[in-house]
Amino acid sequence: MSTVEAVITSIQGLSASSGDLYALHDVLKGAVDSLRTDSELQLSTLDQLDPSKHSLGYLYLLDVLTYGPVSKEKVLLIARFINACDAVQIRLASEKFVSLCKRFKDKVLELRDPLLGVAPLLAAVRKVQVSTKRLTALHPDCLQLCLLAKCYKAGFSVLSDDILEVDQPREFYLYCYYGGMICIGLKRFQKALELLYNVVTAPMHIVNAIALEAYKKYILVTLIHSGQFSISLPKCASTTAKSSFKTWCTPYIEVGMRYNDGKISELEAVVVANSSDFEKDNNLGLVKQAVASLYKRNILRLTQKYLTLSLQDIANMVQLANAKEAEMRVLQMIQDGQIHALINQKDGMVRFLEDPEQYKTSEMIEIMDSVIQRTIGLSKNLIAMDESLSCDPLYLGKVGRERQRYDFGEDFDTVPQKFSM
Amino acid sequence: MDLSPVTEALAVKSFDKIADICDNLMLQVASEGISFHDDWPYFYNLLGYFYVDDCDSARFLWKTIPTSVKESKPEVVAAWRIGQRLWTRDYAGVYEAIRGYDWSPEAKDMVAAFSDVYTKRMFQLLLSAYSTIAIRDLALFLGMTEDDATTYVVENGWTVDTASQMVTVKKQAVKREQKVDSSKLQRLTEYVFHLEH
Repeated sequence: MSTVEAVITSIQGLSASSGDLYALHDVLKGAVDSLRTDSELQLSTLDQLDPSKHSLGYLYLLDVLTYGPVSKEKVLLIARFINACDAVQIRLASEKFVSLCKRFKDKVLELRDPLLGVAPLLAAVRKVQVSTKRLTALHPDCLQLCLLAKCYKAGFSVLSDDILEVDQPREFYLYCYYGGMICIGLKRFQKALELLYNVVTAPMHIVNAIALEAYKKYILVTLIHSGQFSISLPKCASTTAKSSFKTWCTPYIEVGMRYNDGKISELEAVVVANSSDFEKDNNLGLVKQAVASLYKRNILRLTQKYLTLSLQDIANMVQLANAKEAEMRVLQMIQDGQIHALINQKDGMVRFLEDPEQYKTSEMIEIMDSVIQRTIGLSKNLIAMDESLSCDPLYLGKVGRERQRYDFGEDFDTVPQKFSM
Repeated sequence: MDLSPVTEALAVKSFDKIADICDNLMLQVASEGISFHDDWPYFYNLLGYFYVDDCDSARFLWKTIPTSVKESKPEVVAAWRIGQRLWTRDYAGVYEAIRGYDWSPEAKDMVAAFSDVYTKRMFQLLLSAYSTIAIRDLALFLGMTEDDATTYVVENGWTVDTASQMVTVKKQAVKREQKVDSSKLQRLTEYVFHLEH
């Protein structure tokens, strides 16, 4: 019996129970090298297997068969396999599965058909993910395809889980960067800010391109979402980020400074002067949104000062052409829920109102409930992390040594005591 | 390519589901390597997004439509003309774009349904944003003649001042569920438990 036939027989015989699968896995690992050089292994060999029942074996053979240049036929074969395969089986060889999926993504990009890969990679992420808290190596690839195929909604569905466990920093950077872009596309600026913030404040020794691009977008999204720019980075950012980001992002920082001054014409001048930079970074659209948001920001400031104001006054104060344009801006903001106001066309006045939400309806209670639940989950995770860290011999060893060095007396204690919560 | 989920939803007028159905179907069809662009129901897909007020997705979809399709299917282009007006918040322009094209008999139903939903959406917007509004503007927002628009709002309790050609908006008291059931108490207990431990 040839190697291929023997392997096929093992796969068919040993794919049912978990004990069998471990044995099969050993057989496959042993046979991989000889399979790679075996000319008997052809695409048609796979017809003897069922991708959903013999997933582990199918994965190994498909992996060998898709090395090197790949036809569209093979790409579609991988797509079908990803959709059909059994999650439990492929998790036994998750590294192989991930590398097959990554190869699949590269081939899809070569074919210039990112949409082809979106559904398979969405499925792949779910299948390879042991817990929804865990970031997989496929998350960034999946998001990248969604962006390229302009399937923003599909990409957004990947972002709904709170990620708490990460293996590779690069995966996390890319996940947050692409995720931020998806949210920007869907105008979910708060979520975008959250994701980009993670990259900007991530620990790093050397500045990397992902973090730098994320910081540029972070500045712009901050302007759109919270309406002000802060020259200093968030406190928890690494010293590397704090010292070197700014030198690479001067046009963005200038936009932020002019934005803070609140003068539209000056802001527009800065944007025009640096437009080639923004275009090069593919950020021009976002910059324009930031400029437009300054009108809103200025109107929002008025609502804090005045109870009623004429449309003409608004137009003058916010530098709009006329009262009609002011009316339209106010109307859009009401439509988006950014302000609460009543326009009185008869007198040409706007009356600014308080938020009518009284936080006592059932819907609102549901919302508050879910937020509390999420927070409780988060605090539980934090406690668990803290506990595991305070039992970690490596950490304790390091902290213990430092303690000796800085031992100033009884009341100075750097070893974290377990505190009750 | 099997488009039956779309046609079925259209047949029972579940216009709010069209966008989701199309999204899923497109991902599935694309992953099977079928070249679907020429036969894809772009028109319904776009309108489906408008119907659920998801202009962002509509815009992304439009960007992925091949030029050949845009050239051969004027109805898709006409649908996007509505999308452009929605995108720029040209409230009155939306109705112009709807009226500005001679829709095919199959398309008419969904266009009319969207137009209705959009009018209702505009009515709610006016209700929350205006205390008084000129009849001329009212007609533009609702996409009706001035007479029809005044009749429409008077039925909702608004009052017309013919001398100034202004309408006074009457706020509707929105009734909201405030009752809390016993499961909430259970959850409150859990919160307190969490805080104390």
